Amino acid sequence: MPRPDETLDRAARGLSHRLASRATRRGFLAAVAGGALAMVGARPAEARRAPLRGTDRTRDGWFGFCGHTWTTGSCPSPYNLPRVDARGFPVRPSDGWPVDNLGRLVDAFGAPVDPAGAPLLAPDGSPMPRAPRTRICEDWVPERHGIETVVQGAWYRCCNNQIRKLADCCSTSRVRINGDASLVGYCRPGRRVFCVMYVDTGVPC
Amino acid sequence: MVETLTPAGCGSRQRHRFALALFALGAILAAGALGAVLGLAGSALDAERALAVVGALALVAAAREAGLLRIPVPELRRQVPERWRREWPLGGWSFGYGAGLGVGVLTHQTVWTFWVAAAGALALGDPLVSALCLAPFGLGRALMVALPARGGRDASEAVGRMVARRRLLRPANVAALLFAAAVLAVAPALAAGVTGEHDPAASGRVLAVAATDAAGESIVVRPAESPEVRYVAGRSPALDGDLLAYADGTGIRILRWRTGEEVGRVDGALAKPALDYPLVAYVRAVPDGQRLELRDMATGAVRVVARGGRGVDIGRPALRGGLVAWHVAAGRRSQIRLGPADGSRPSRVVASSVTGLQINPSLAYGHILWVEQAASISALRLRRIAGGPVRTLNTLRGPNRILWTTALGLRTAYATRWNPVNGRSQVISRTWR
Repeated sequence: MPRPDETLDRAARGLSHRLASRATRRGFLAAVAGGALAMVGARPAEARRAPLRGTDRTRDGWFGFCGHTWTTGSCPSPYNLPRVDARGFPVRPSDGWPVDNLGRLVDAFGAPVDPAGAPLLAPDGSPMPRAPRTRICEDWVPERHGIETVVQGAWYRCCNNQIRKLADCCSTSRVRINGDASLVGYCRPGRRVFCVMYVDTGVPC
Repeated sequence: MVETLTPAGCGSRQRHRFALALFALGAILAAGALGAVLGLAGSALDAERALAVVGALALVAAAREAGLLRIPVPELRRQVPERWRREWPLGGWSFGYGAGLGVGVLTHQTVWTFWVAAAGALALGDPLVSALCLAPFGLGRALMVALPARGGRDASEAVGRMVARRRLLRPANVAALLFAAAVLAVAPALAAGVTGEHDPAASGRVLAVAATDAAGESIVVRPAESPEVRYVAGRSPALDGDLLAYADGTGIRILRWRTGEEVGRVDGALAKPALDYPLVAYVRAVPDGQRLELRDMATGAVRVVARGGRGVDIGRPALRGGLVAWHVAAGRRSQIRLGPADGSRPSRVVASSVTGLQINPSLAYGHILWVEQAASISALRLRRIAGGPVRTLNTLRGPNRILWTTALGLRTAYATRWNPVNGRSQVISRTWR
């Protein structure tokens, strides 16, 4: 019958053998430093290089989301997925409900509401202030990246049994949101793709 | 374990103390880390229901400890690996043993008390508070190793004497669990409607907050070196030295907070006062929106500083040193604006964004403090009024934890940390100079 501590003991023995055969003093110190950083909430440099939104491969082979065939990253948005309405304003990816730039559901006047439609209140009971609700290509990108952009060009795919319109947010920059060289995509001459977003049209396919 | 760390096992008394210190450190850190993880996980729970469940669990545990129920104690029937002591250096294995025992879930448990404490840490829903609550468990583990061998006593005999007294320990454990259950049973009644504290105001080393509890809303003034003072039925405090302003059912009240002597009132549908006596600023609700007004209580003169139409929020103003700051939040843009209180020059924009929310400024000592919200991140920003780089004093991530109103004291910056899901708020502080 195995001793109660045998599994933990085996793991520790294996760890000590691996450490003895591969570890260097520098590597040990790096690990200790990483642990110390983790304790105070910082992350080592490797952890900070998480995949850019919209560039990770999905199960169906797309990049980031259904219909996205190339590697340019998603435009900045309140949610991970850069879903917008027909005018380029952010919506909740799961159901298309309009949201403000903080990702809160909003009513027809732009005031934040809860899922039941009641106004969100601040701790003192007063209605919470409206947050901006602006276009993620024409407004978000210029503020965050300092470049002028415009939506140009689109392609269509059938996703979730409805037609999805994928659009390029184009600029004159030679660098895309990924940080590397931008592609022409469907942008008109003189412009290149900075980031991408999509609109779910609701048209069945 | 106590024999492992005695001089007979380790060598000199110095090595014993070194091992003991590292053991204790590992135990306390591990217990605290477990508490932090549980507190973080519990932040999404309904606190009232969670505490009620913990109370019921404490009752069940007390019945089990009293022998009335036969319920096994959840445990991993493992011990810390003996080989560590032979293969690792003293510092490594003593810290490791401490961590292994301090985390509680990896080794034997003979009573239910630990699990009740862990459930309580989960129900508290605050990583820091939960860490502080569970860390004593690690300390207890360490004391169980340190105390029997203190003063050079024979550790084995000491443990034997403790075992002989175990008949006294069980009733004490039952009493402790019943006490916990009783406190938790009363807590929901006391805590009905509690949302915590919010809307800090600071002047020097005095802090005032709005508190919401079972008795309703009140203003609590906390001087650094004297007892706190409370004013009921008030909200949105503002401080200027010995003077306190707050909003109540009929308008704005200004009084000396030490004595309660009222020095002025402004009636109307007013909110969010700021005070730099004799100047007081407040937001007035009007049919077509809001107005930020600034009144001189000495002369009665009123100046409209800013107007906001429907759908435009003019936030809680700040007033200090002849300057007034406020935020404007609308569908297209949000801004922090700053201008002279006397209107001698146009106001200027301190911060602006079309993607995020810049809100709730406060002024003091030549600096301006405000909150910036972008996507699911809240950040507490500080900058000199004259200009210069922006410092970030605190950052919160996640939709359920946001920063709200701010205040700037002599050395400490304050902000409301608020969970919109469960309505709990607290005032946090950060040293800024």
